[in-house]
Amino acid sequence: MTHWLHQCWSFYARLTVRFPVVRSIVPFIPVVAFWAIVAQSGVFPPAFLPGPLDVLKSFGTLMYKGILPDYMLDSMVRLLVGTGTGIALGVPLGVLVGLSERARKLLWPLLLFFQAIGDIAWLPILLIWFGFSLTTMTVVIVYTVLFPIVLNTALGVRSVPVVLSRAARSLGASPTGVIWHVVLPGALPNIMTGLRNGLGFGWRALIATEIIVGTSGIGFMMFDARRAGSVVEILLGMVVLGLLWYIVDSWVLAPIERATGQRWGLVSSQQ
Amino acid sequence: MANTLRPDSSFGTPVRFPGLLAAVTFLAPLLGLMVLWEVIVRFFEVSPRTFPSVEAVALASWDMLRDGSLVRHVAASLGRVTVGTVLALVVSIPLGVAMGLSSAVSNFFTPLLRFFSVLAGIAWIPIATLWFGYGFGAITFIIFNSVFFVVVYNTLLGVSSIPLSLRRAAASLGANWWAMLTEVILPGALPNIVTGVRTGLGFAWRGLIAAEMIATNVGLGYMLFTARDFYQTEVIVFGMIVIGLLWLLLDRLLLAPLERATIERWGLVVST
Amino acid sequence: MKNLSLNHLSKTYFDPYAGKHVTAVSDVSLSVNQGEFVAIVGPSGCGKTTILNMIAGFLPVSGGEILLDGQPVSGPGSERGVVFQSFALFPWKTVLDNVGFGPKMRGLSKAECDRIAREYLELAGLANAAERYPNELSGGMQQRVGVVRALANNPEVLLMDEPFASVDAQTRMTLQEELTRIWQERRPTIIFITHDVSEAVFLADRVVVLSKGLVLKELNIDLPRPRVWDALMEDDAFKAMSAQVLQLVRSA
Repeated sequence: MTHWLHQCWSFYARLTVRFPVVRSIVPFIPVVAFWAIVAQSGVFPPAFLPGPLDVLKSFGTLMYKGILPDYMLDSMVRLLVGTGTGIALGVPLGVLVGLSERARKLLWPLLLFFQAIGDIAWLPILLIWFGFSLTTMTVVIVYTVLFPIVLNTALGVRSVPVVLSRAARSLGASPTGVIWHVVLPGALPNIMTGLRNGLGFGWRALIATEIIVGTSGIGFMMFDARRAGSVVEILLGMVVLGLLWYIVDSWVLAPIERATGQRWGLVSSQQ
Repeated sequence: MANTLRPDSSFGTPVRFPGLLAAVTFLAPLLGLMVLWEVIVRFFEVSPRTFPSVEAVALASWDMLRDGSLVRHVAASLGRVTVGTVLALVVSIPLGVAMGLSSAVSNFFTPLLRFFSVLAGIAWIPIATLWFGYGFGAITFIIFNSVFFVVVYNTLLGVSSIPLSLRRAAASLGANWWAMLTEVILPGALPNIVTGVRTGLGFAWRGLIAAEMIATNVGLGYMLFTARDFYQTEVIVFGMIVIGLLWLLLDRLLLAPLERATIERWGLVVST
Repeated sequence: MKNLSLNHLSKTYFDPYAGKHVTAVSDVSLSVNQGEFVAIVGPSGCGKTTILNMIAGFLPVSGGEILLDGQPVSGPGSERGVVFQSFALFPWKTVLDNVGFGPKMRGLSKAECDRIAREYLELAGLANAAERYPNELSGGMQQRVGVVRALANNPEVLLMDEPFASVDAQTRMTLQEELTRIWQERRPTIIFITHDVSEAVFLADRVVVLSKGLVLKELNIDLPRPRVWDALMEDDAFKAMSAQVLQLVRSA
């Protein structure tokens, strides 16, 4: 009996070595099973808690109708546009704050305060200025993404050892050359962390914005479904959200962050 | 660090208020911004429907303080955050400890927790209003799960990264299970727990504001959102400042020092 | 006369990645008298750390038994103190609280614990470090704290798992001399694991050579005490014994 158990355990262990993805997926199986059982048992009415199969069916229907891909695309595009703008604005600002003590003293309290206000709190006034438009959503995302990027870039820049800049200067680099060849690569691990955090916050901000003021996108889909009382789509939206972000974070962002962080040393981060 | 105590060290040294100096340097740029704000509004004759002047905001704040509406909203928001957070901590920390003690259990649950951490807070708003209706229940639920998943995950991480040799050392020095928990496990996991609380509260605060915009009739988020209907920009800006200040106070005066005190003092590294 | 005896000790465990059972310790029998300093040496993977972990009670025994003063041991306990290679000091406790941890677990008052702790810190020459945190100390100092922390509990046996492997060579020599000094003053029973042959010969009364989970040979070290590196480094008897042990280890 124990021999058989041992063989199963051994099989699983070797499987996870060959396919590390198994480790990430297997724990979800009992959760989904539990969900299915609870939904089936009727403890909660189906209007409250549909089962995984219903959600799956809805996924199929919405994909087929093209609605889900459209919404996903809308959400992703907004996120990418906002993030791209955030990086374009945030990295230079972060470098400035990191390099110049005066800039830091001036801007740091402002950055902290505005970060504390938070993205969502800007919605009402943005709605007054830009209405229920794409601009509003983009501004919110840029705002959200900006702070982790600026703060982490600044941290990264400041943690590049001074000796490295000096070495570069003594080898004939110009000030811009130092920034390009020493400071930016040196800060890259922290920038990646900032990017990862920023995207996480941006993702949430996007969903919140879509829920509150959206006309399309996954967040909107969930809120609209709530209004129509269609629970299945709410759950579907949540599952899609979670999966999308989980996949992007675990298999794209985290490895990049680890690859730069591990190659070049420890990474500390600002929340 | 020198261990010598000079008995007369309290005399003759200049009186210092490091806290006060830090506060002043911190506030200076903000005050500067306020001045800039007032100048721009006046110079460009900005319509009050677009952006309020400093006085308008000051007046609005005075009004709201006087008629108690500010207190009502702040109390509602803070009340929800407190209840939701305390509930979440009471459940999540013991759960995280229990899960972290066994490496098999913690490895198994880590992907699950990370998944739900991603969903924490805002994404639950539609379904929360469905399950709990509008108001206190739904919002507290949002707060709860914003904090819950993140803290369980971080607690689990903290506990499981306590070196085995430390637990063995305690055992070989005669520690029973209670001593092990209070003297080794909890202190060892504390940096991660605090980081988790800080992150979770960040999500919770944002989730709170978002949820209050659509799911209730009292609270800071609500105050902001309804002011929009009447173009009361001075109320909105005032509300934003209050929200910012509250979070700053909470984070900088409570959470960040707690995090620094544990990590820096003990020379520990927070596992990520 | 309290003593420790290992009778036909064995340890096997299942390795899921290899898919089969692995034998770490085949059959080891050993008898240690009170106050004796025994060193166990052997190449990597010979099972010496496993044996120590079993005596300490961290690992269950697969076969055979471990008797302390005639009673079988089970689980960790304060009568078997352990000194770890990684020092294992509690980073959130001061040096004083670390050393006083054992007495605290025994239920002594804070004042008593502090008194005992200071006494042992004095013994290790670390009285000034009492209020510091472990991460403020050097590796050598941390390990001295580790040693007296275990000693402060008055264990019947002190188990030392390659305790000086993580410090630099000069500090190691100093620590070895200090250990013998403390041992001669307090005379605990010590079981010392190491892969460094000259360390074993320097420290011990008896050296046990282990190979592939079995005892290869035991040697009595009858060099006079106190032992000091300056003297012994050129001593012929020391060199001969070291060479003998080394040859046994390398042939294993």
